[in-house]
Amino acid sequence: MITVENLSKRYGSTTAVSDVSFTVEPGSITGFLGPNGAGKSTTLRMLTGLTPPSSGRATIAGKKYADLPNPGRVVGVMLDAAAQHPGRTGRETLLLNAALLGVPSTRADEMLEAVGLTPAAKRRVGQYSLGMRQRLGIAAALLGDPAALILDEPANGMDPEGIRWMRGLLQDFASRGGTVILSSHLLGEVQATVDRLVVIGGGRIVADGSLEELLAGSGTLVRGLDPNGLNQALTAAGLSVEPLYDGALRVDATAEQVGRAAAAAGQILLELRESDGAGLEELFFQLTSPTAAAA
Amino acid sequence: MAVTEITSPVAAAVPGKHRAAVATSLPPARGQSFLKLVTIELRKSVNTRSGRFLILGILALALAALTWQLTHLNDGKQTFDSYLAAASTGVMLLLPVIGVMAMTSEWTQRTALTTFTLSPRRIRVQLAKFVSAILLSVVVLSVTVVLALAGTALGGSLSGDGASYAGFGGALAGAYLTTALNVVMGAAFGAVIAQTAVAILVFFVAPTAWTLAGPALFKSNADWLDVFGAFGRIAERDLHGMVPETLTAIGIWIVLPTIVGLWASSRREVK
Repeated sequence: MITVENLSKRYGSTTAVSDVSFTVEPGSITGFLGPNGAGKSTTLRMLTGLTPPSSGRATIAGKKYADLPNPGRVVGVMLDAAAQHPGRTGRETLLLNAALLGVPSTRADEMLEAVGLTPAAKRRVGQYSLGMRQRLGIAAALLGDPAALILDEPANGMDPEGIRWMRGLLQDFASRGGTVILSSHLLGEVQATVDRLVVIGGGRIVADGSLEELLAGSGTLVRGLDPNGLNQALTAAGLSVEPLYDGALRVDATAEQVGRAAAAAGQILLELRESDGAGLEELFFQLTSPTAAAA
Repeated sequence: MAVTEITSPVAAAVPGKHRAAVATSLPPARGQSFLKLVTIELRKSVNTRSGRFLILGILALALAALTWQLTHLNDGKQTFDSYLAAASTGVMLLLPVIGVMAMTSEWTQRTALTTFTLSPRRIRVQLAKFVSAILLSVVVLSVTVVLALAGTALGGSLSGDGASYAGFGGALAGAYLTTALNVVMGAAFGAVIAQTAVAILVFFVAPTAWTLAGPALFKSNADWLDVFGAFGRIAERDLHGMVPETLTAIGIWIVLPTIVGLWASSRREVK
């Protein structure tokens, strides 16, 4: 179990992470989502004791990361697959970690096999592709048979086959009672893998819940010939309206209510359907759009 | 939905047993002893090509110097002193680079990220690096000493004048002491400045600059900060009554950078 409580990080006058709280339960995979620079990595680094938080605390299995006597045996961490010595072979990289974790060297070979790197075991990491380094990083994270995994952008640089492989591996890990948190800046990349989403933007948590909750059809999506006129008509009818980025509107009402209100005002509809998680997509678009980043 | 019922069992893969129900074959988790950290640091410094080349290069330099000495035999008895001096000049100059790189390479190669995630108590890791660098340089120096011994014996029989091993112990003690101090100083500079090239440059330039500029600026008071003078006196194992000067120079150039380096690297942001 991973618990993050009111974590904040300030660098001088800029706040990278502000009052972030969430928990990751055993047996689940949590996607930690947000655009680049939203504070994902900073949060994960505070979680793993690399960056001291300005305030708040993070615990793994009830303990602060730095207080774990041999952290690799409790939690597997991969923060940057590219941060491996190019001059060592894949096998030597794992053997070094195995010695530190106090696991036999046969375990390193098993993990190479598990991530499909046995044929490349004796090649130097400098010759690995980013996808292969991700696999090596995952092998390193699994080396100590940890109960939890913390992976920063593990799908980055992986081909679709690799992503599907990783999905199977993580879902198996979670189904056996493991705790997983993985970050990504692409909703589509992790949507099929995770059970829960924690969405961060501008250093703050903007959404936190199960995938079903967050993607559930919340209200109705409607598009009209005259978006402004339709917006006014629906608002006048007492409905709560949220304009989306492409001229569509998300309305907290049934399709019938929206249709009646539009008909009463003589507005022509082009599209009317359940919003189907459009809110989350919209949230993402807002977070990742240049104007939001500049604000 | 009859169709779904027929096809669905395929997707339901056999779920693995809960991890609590599976007895792990791995030994129980223990903390990381300091000895283990030192062993791992030693392994890290020899399991990359750059690390091996550095060590082999240093030894090649010693061999080259001995070969020159053997092909330019001077008259009289061949003394171990002179052979050790020839073999170890380059070695002693380059060994501190092992110290510097022990501290910097993790930061330049970005492996510090893994190292400090697996061992969050950074000061222990850094101290293990100091110990590992000292051990490694002692090994390299010992190989050099063996080469020098062989060179002396060979020179003695080649020249026909015989070999002399007078002052053997003293020469060795001096060489090991200065090497250890030099390597610690290199490691300390590497800990303060995490960039390999910059750290090596500062390590070589700063004390030399002081040795050259100090006397002009501060007359004999410059001795207080002349680390090479201090090394020389320690190598001779005769401080010439300059105990406070020697201690001050060591304190400023070795102890202070070590403390600052440990502090800095324990707080440095791991990128």
